[in-house]
Amino acid sequence: MIKLENVTKYFITKEGKKYILKDMSIDIPSHTNIGILGRNGAGKSTLMRMLGHIEFPNKGTITSDHNFSWPLGLSGGFVGNMTGRANVRFVCRLYGRTKEQTNEIIEYVKEFSELEDYFDMPIKTYSSGMRGRLSFGLSLAFDFDYMLIDETLSVGDARFKKKAKEHLMKKIENCNIILVSHEMNTLKELCNAGIVLNKGQMVYHNDIISAIEDYENINKKGK
Amino acid sequence: MTARKPLNIFFAVQKALFLRELSMRFSMSKTGIFWTFFEPFMQVFIMVLIKVLLFGNSNTNLDFVAFLALNFTAFNMFRNILSKSMGAFAGNKALFVYKQVKPIDTIISRVIVEVFMTSIIIIAFIILGTYFGNDLDVKNLPMVVVGFLWLIVFSFSFGLFIAVVDTFYSSVGKTINIIMSLAMFFSAVFYTVDMLPIEAQSIVLYNPLTHFIEMIHGYYFYALDDKYVNYDYIMLWTITLLYAGLWFYKRLEERIISL
Repeated sequence: MIKLENVTKYFITKEGKKYILKDMSIDIPSHTNIGILGRNGAGKSTLMRMLGHIEFPNKGTITSDHNFSWPLGLSGGFVGNMTGRANVRFVCRLYGRTKEQTNEIIEYVKEFSELEDYFDMPIKTYSSGMRGRLSFGLSLAFDFDYMLIDETLSVGDARFKKKAKEHLMKKIENCNIILVSHEMNTLKELCNAGIVLNKGQMVYHNDIISAIEDYENINKKGK
Repeated sequence: MTARKPLNIFFAVQKALFLRELSMRFSMSKTGIFWTFFEPFMQVFIMVLIKVLLFGNSNTNLDFVAFLALNFTAFNMFRNILSKSMGAFAGNKALFVYKQVKPIDTIISRVIVEVFMTSIIIIAFIILGTYFGNDLDVKNLPMVVVGFLWLIVFSFSFGLFIAVVDTFYSSVGKTINIIMSLAMFFSAVFYTVDMLPIEAQSIVLYNPLTHFIEMIHGYYFYALDDKYVNYDYIMLWTITLLYAGLWFYKRLEERIISL
């Protein structure tokens, strides 16, 4: 279970405080794959970062006895001056992997990401798609209770997307995902439940279909 | 995934960060590596040259070359820890997506790297000094080591404090840079406090770094002593900076992570 207690999160803008969450208390049940929906700027990524403990509420607490991956996005988590290989090795060390495990992970990520020679080039020479592939492959090599995925499924060409989705489907037999996406089909395919973020409120739907309907209603009203 | 103990996580993070910093140093620019090791030799060489040109080759009990090498090593270590600490948060921002990497870890690992580099430079100086027949006899080795260790704690405290404050008020870092560019002249690096006129002594003794360098060379050389060192004074500096650094850090840690 993920427990949010009186969580308030805001950003200070020129027009004053902009609330992402306003005094929200909610229990999110375990063992479901959750899609996060909301309009641009509603705070989907911020919520995800808060779940991953790299962003913090202004008030209240978020507690859970599960472990979360780092948020898988297109950009973060890599050091530009280091090669892909060095970055993978670094993350393995962070997670306390042994030398043998590390070498296995490196081989796996190299093969999965299809970076070939670029794997031994500095990350700053990568295109954003290449970064996404590396980041996605790396995350598949670790086991988490929840994988936090921020739109990374759209990296690469059609063939790679298909492969990524297959690997992810296999992965979520043993773990859960929290997914931010604007693609309703992806959400329907991967998630059972949904969270809709709107104007400082978050609503949990047991069923992703009803979450999508809710979100579409908000969109209609917005227009 | 089995839960790891906080201390195990800390060591894993430190190991990862240390190896990363080292490989970045050694792979990024060859000139950077060259200067890391060449700069201290250059400093000593230039200062010896200036002294010989200005004052001639006076015969004292003090081996001036060894004296300079020791002082520059200690001073450079302080200066480098400070400047590397200031850049630690911004330079490692990308790593904060891994929740086990806390901002303070990046400072600790940079301090460890600097201490490591300093050790290599010390070894290089000892080899060269032995080769050229310099007088490297140590009067009180344990106290020299204590001096260095204390200086490391002081540098870390100073670095942490400045890094946290600089994150929110960037003019602090700029001010420190200006001060540091002059600090070498006020830190008993190429003289001892004893050599100065009394008025000048009272001024340089406000500088805590002067006390550290006086302590280190006072215990190293038979010809020198530590009579100008005020241990209470540097203890007060160390404790105040360490406490203030940790206090501000603790309060602002979450904001630094989500910068």
